[in-house]
Amino acid sequence: MKIRKIAMLVFLIFLSLMIINPAQSFAQKEIKIGVILPLSGSLAPIGKSLKEGAELAAEIVNSKHPDLKISIAKWEGIPNLGGAKLKLIFADHRADPGWGADQAKRLIEDEKVIGLLGCYNSAVTKTASVEAERAGLPFINPDSTSPALTKRDMKWFWRVTPHETWFTADLFNFLDGLTKGKAGIKGISKKNLEPLAVAVENSEWGAASLAEIEKFAKERGWKIAEGIKYPKDAADLTSETRRMITSKAPTFLFASYLSDAVLFFKTMKEMKASPSLIWGQDAGFVEADFYKTLGADVNGVLTRDLFSAEMGKAKPVAGKLNEMYKKMTGYDFSGSSARDFVGVQVWAHALNEAKSTDPKALQAALNKLHIPAKELIMPWKGVKFGSPFPGDTNQNELGSGVINQYQGYPDGKLHIVYPFEFATSKMIYPFPGYK
Amino acid sequence: MSSIVHKGGLCCSSVLYPQNEPEMELAVELIIYGILMGLVFALIALGLSLIFGVMNIVNFAHGEFLMVGMYIAFVLASYLHLDPLFSLPVAALAGYLLGMMSYYLLIHHILRGPMVAQLFGTFGLMLFLRYLAMFIFTPDVRTIRQGILVGKTLSFAWMTFDISKIMAAGLSFLLFALVYIMINRTKLGRALRATSLDAEAARYMGIDTKKMNALAWGIGGATVAISGALLAHFYYVTPTVGMLFTLIAFATVALGGFGSVSGAFLAGIIIGLIMVLSGQFVSELKFTFIYLAFFLTVVFRPRGLFGW
Repeated sequence: MKIRKIAMLVFLIFLSLMIINPAQSFAQKEIKIGVILPLSGSLAPIGKSLKEGAELAAEIVNSKHPDLKISIAKWEGIPNLGGAKLKLIFADHRADPGWGADQAKRLIEDEKVIGLLGCYNSAVTKTASVEAERAGLPFINPDSTSPALTKRDMKWFWRVTPHETWFTADLFNFLDGLTKGKAGIKGISKKNLEPLAVAVENSEWGAASLAEIEKFAKERGWKIAEGIKYPKDAADLTSETRRMITSKAPTFLFASYLSDAVLFFKTMKEMKASPSLIWGQDAGFVEADFYKTLGADVNGVLTRDLFSAEMGKAKPVAGKLNEMYKKMTGYDFSGSSARDFVGVQVWAHALNEAKSTDPKALQAALNKLHIPAKELIMPWKGVKFGSPFPGDTNQNELGSGVINQYQGYPDGKLHIVYPFEFATSKMIYPFPGYK
Repeated sequence: MSSIVHKGGLCCSSVLYPQNEPEMELAVELIIYGILMGLVFALIALGLSLIFGVMNIVNFAHGEFLMVGMYIAFVLASYLHLDPLFSLPVAALAGYLLGMMSYYLLIHHILRGPMVAQLFGTFGLMLFLRYLAMFIFTPDVRTIRQGILVGKTLSFAWMTFDISKIMAAGLSFLLFALVYIMINRTKLGRALRATSLDAEAARYMGIDTKKMNALAWGIGGATVAISGALLAHFYYVTPTVGMLFTLIAFATVALGGFGSVSGAFLAGIIIGLIMVLSGQFVSELKFTFIYLAFFLTVVFRPRGLFGW
């Protein structure tokens, strides 16, 4: 009888401790987060690299890595949730907004995830995040850049990456800087850089890129000779390339995913195009397959990006994590896969701050979250959600982009040429061309 | 302060291309580009048209046969270091065998089922081949970077063309001529046509219609695999590449007429021209124009331009 009483007492003490410290109830439990990415179709290569970025972050959160000088590497799970491990449940959205929304619903209802991460394609992020909003669950978006996404006044949607408005501002700061001789080379006369010829895929992201470029060109006084919206996954881009060449524009700007970017370059080579400067809006231009496929033809191409393997020179932790990623995948982090790494990191910090998986607690934690720059592999000042541009809601205010240039390929590296103060190499100008 | 001048596109200018480029020269150049691409589209569509003409079956896996041809060229060029031109006969043989196998192992059996089983059968074959390629080659995008004709150009007057596109167009022309002669001038071709017109009557006349069906699949597979090997000279290779070309091939076959060799030839060129010329003016609508042509043909001339 006495033993029974003692056992009951121990049980009650244990129960009360559980109530006082809810983290204990999560001990060794798993926290399911749904990750929706393009894992099949023409975007499958990038989807694979995004998945690997997210997986590496989850692995670092879940196990100890004392050699890494960031908080999540010391945690072995979420500390304030009793060391609960992150479990990522992946779903393929096939770059289809309708299918993406279905996957979000499935993850919420069937897999019982506590929130979502994704979806890379802005159009899919738009529809999938609506499902999270309806369910009242957090949706963290590390990798979609259509400015419209954070202008919907949503309460359950947080975007970690900077959006197109930033990147386009970076582009025009860079072009203006070139005319002032800031890129380590002699100043380039503006008449040798304009007009601009722009080709974008006809999607929400592409159209938004073109609209932003037109807006900034107008504000900064740059002429545009061509603004082409082509159907994505094109069978042929002959006429579009011809239009860019005949416009006599010395600067070509692109917003294309991998397959179209490759086709554009093959067609430009066929037509012996020789613009002085080529800049790509991330996406296909930062894919490993872009330089693997085109080899030395990429030399001199500039791409808006968020990461470079060279970042390790400025941020040792970025170099170390990139080494781990490369060991795991065989290639360097891209700006996209590095952002998905950060996406999982944001989830981990939010869970730790919230001390709970309750949606309301997570919402409050995300709204107050501040991750300092030293925790990140990106060249950002940190992560803090706010309204950096008019109309933005829950947009990271502390992000920024870089402009990289392919140099010395096929065995070369992406070098940072902008921000000018972080440049790791002298810029190649003009673009060597295909004559 | 600034000026944004679109010299093309839906919205703005009456200037369609810069005035320093003579319009006639540009038009000629674009028409040639359109014909070159059109001949490649035509060759891709030829097999689809033949199979439909003979058996009334839509082969949804047609684009995957194309993808197989492309990977054969890629593997021979990248791993065995053979010139991709050598891949043409290999692709032809592999495509022929793939077509034959598809018929004997799948189509022949599902013919006994309802129409919907036939549709889903080739759809299943499409998915099987696509995901098998994804397993073997990963979803990575690849291109052939070395070869006698790869990346080589030919300059003529003010124009520059990719020699591999010229070769692809020339071979397409040749293959069309051969298939046309085979179908219209040989005993085998007459048997094929008889099977397509009335399989039962053909059987009564002693024609082995099963063999004819298999032959249509074999020829269809061979021609599309060759077009894949040709396309790989100047286009990227990935497991999902077939989808886009299948849609174009469907539009080509509907426009030219189901089962018509000469129809596929002419329709391919028309589609190539629509794609290149519309891309010059309103790029975002170029597929709309192609499918508009497809739609109008289906509505006003359901048998297509030359359908039987």
